[in-house]
Amino acid sequence: MTIWHVADDQVLRYAEGTALETDAWSLEKHVESCTSCAERVSAAVRGRGAAAPLLDEVRAAVLAAAVPVSGGAEAGRPVTGPGAWHGRAPAWRRLPGRHRFGRVLWAAGPALRGPWTGALALVVCTAVALAYGGGLGGSVRALLLLVAPVLPLAGVGVSYGRSADPLHEIIATSPGGGLRLLLTRTAAVLGVTVPVLALVWAVLPASAGGPGPLAWLLPGLALTLAALGIGSYLGCRTAALVVAAGWAAAVTVPALDTSPSTLLDGTPTALRYFAGFPAQGAWAVAAVLGAALLVLRRRSFDHLETS
Amino acid sequence: MNSTVKVSGLTVRHRRRTALDSVDLDFGPGVHGLLGPNGAGKTSLIRVLSTAAAPDAGRIELLGSDVGAASDHRARAEVRRRLGYLPQEFGHYAGFTVREFVAYVAWLKEMDSTRAAAAVERAVDRVGLADRIDSRMKTLSGGMVRRVGIAQAIVNEPELLLLDEPTAGLDPEQRVEFRALMRDLGEHATVILSTHLVEDVVTACEGVTLIEAGRVAYRGTTRELAALGKDGGQDERAGSPIERGYTTALRSHRATAGAR
Repeated sequence: MTIWHVADDQVLRYAEGTALETDAWSLEKHVESCTSCAERVSAAVRGRGAAAPLLDEVRAAVLAAAVPVSGGAEAGRPVTGPGAWHGRAPAWRRLPGRHRFGRVLWAAGPALRGPWTGALALVVCTAVALAYGGGLGGSVRALLLLVAPVLPLAGVGVSYGRSADPLHEIIATSPGGGLRLLLTRTAAVLGVTVPVLALVWAVLPASAGGPGPLAWLLPGLALTLAALGIGSYLGCRTAALVVAAGWAAAVTVPALDTSPSTLLDGTPTALRYFAGFPAQGAWAVAAVLGAALLVLRRRSFDHLETS
Repeated sequence: MNSTVKVSGLTVRHRRRTALDSVDLDFGPGVHGLLGPNGAGKTSLIRVLSTAAAPDAGRIELLGSDVGAASDHRARAEVRRRLGYLPQEFGHYAGFTVREFVAYVAWLKEMDSTRAAAAVERAVDRVGLADRIDSRMKTLSGGMVRRVGIAQAIVNEPELLLLDEPTAGLDPEQRVEFRALMRDLGEHATVILSTHLVEDVVTACEGVTLIEAGRVAYRGTTRELAALGKDGGQDERAGSPIERGYTTALRSHRATAGAR
């Protein structure tokens, strides 16, 4: 390991606030672990002389007068006293206009930025590739239908709670946190999933018969609400995993006694979960039950997940 | 005294371990330090006071409202609008800029959006990061991230500010600035900061509360704790008066707790 210390002229420039930004960073990093350099820097900053506070005030006053900022005179006032923290001139820039749409995406927070977006893109690409490259043709729609209800679930799993959101502790102390934020993020996830899957469905080659493109909506909603309800006990990620595993079992177990050829060429047995009024009705009832559980458990989202 | 924070019989358990054992405390406006050995229950106390965690037993009254039980939802939301919190493990969204991140917290605090933009700039300026306000969080050093953490905690001009180890990762000069900021904030707000650095308490805090093994071991002003240390001899190697006072108070608490 090389022993590097801050040179005297660097200390001086830093204290004056004229050091290059990169130099200032490495100096700051260094003094976090080096006491002798930290003492020299502190001494240099304090020893800028009696004129320094005056200069800082003049600079702040000039800046406040010269640039029309949204904060007005208040923003130009050096709040933490003369020489606030660094003595470098602040870059007054106005907040770029925030649109309503941007705010909604913001609320979605980590879900729409994270690995989930990648997973959704992967599913879409795989479906299209299998249909046109893999020669599976019409049966890809059926496969997509089987995967679709789990996709929003995954989004919920990676968007809220202790294991998924680095901000979870601050969110737990915010009036805007809790169930409302969780539902906002879930809605954002659904709002992306539904149109994307509808588009892919339209692109895929048509299959003979089988359930329509919206057949997965009710099952997807029911599974998502179930995950949120179970999430009030176990945490969102665990709950999403549990529900997804349950769905995977429900899809694969009836397919085990059919031969692979019939699986690919016909309609998978699991498709009967989507077909017809009784099945869809059952999903609707399940969704209502899930919503009821969520309403009963709504206060459990007011605090940190305990598990 | 005009108390903004009142807790009584506060008990917090983590599985079988008792982190806080029937604690009674009250705080008014000003800067208060929470001192204690690692694992004494400081973080558990801050978490409960910040409403992040619910207590297993006891009453919590913050800014005049009960917030402990599940039924206090509406009052808790109202208190949360007037509260600032920096957790010990401060996580952030790496892709956000400083401005976006602090504004996101302002949005979570349900601040008026016409006021929020100026409040974000002011908060970032108060921690000395005005020149980095449009930098992405992932480009900041550890000390800078900590300062963004302080900025997000003060963006809504909180009446109650709770900071868990706020000076971790700050260099000596930044710590001096931080203490000045705390004294400034403490003129109007109730500031409670947990720390293992005795010097933070000496320079920034008026009152000290010492926590040991889930109980309150000592309460007093910073001066009183230092006076306790003066009686402990003049040996310079044993540390500053306040450090000796800390040790003396802990020892006498352990002695009485052991006798019980």
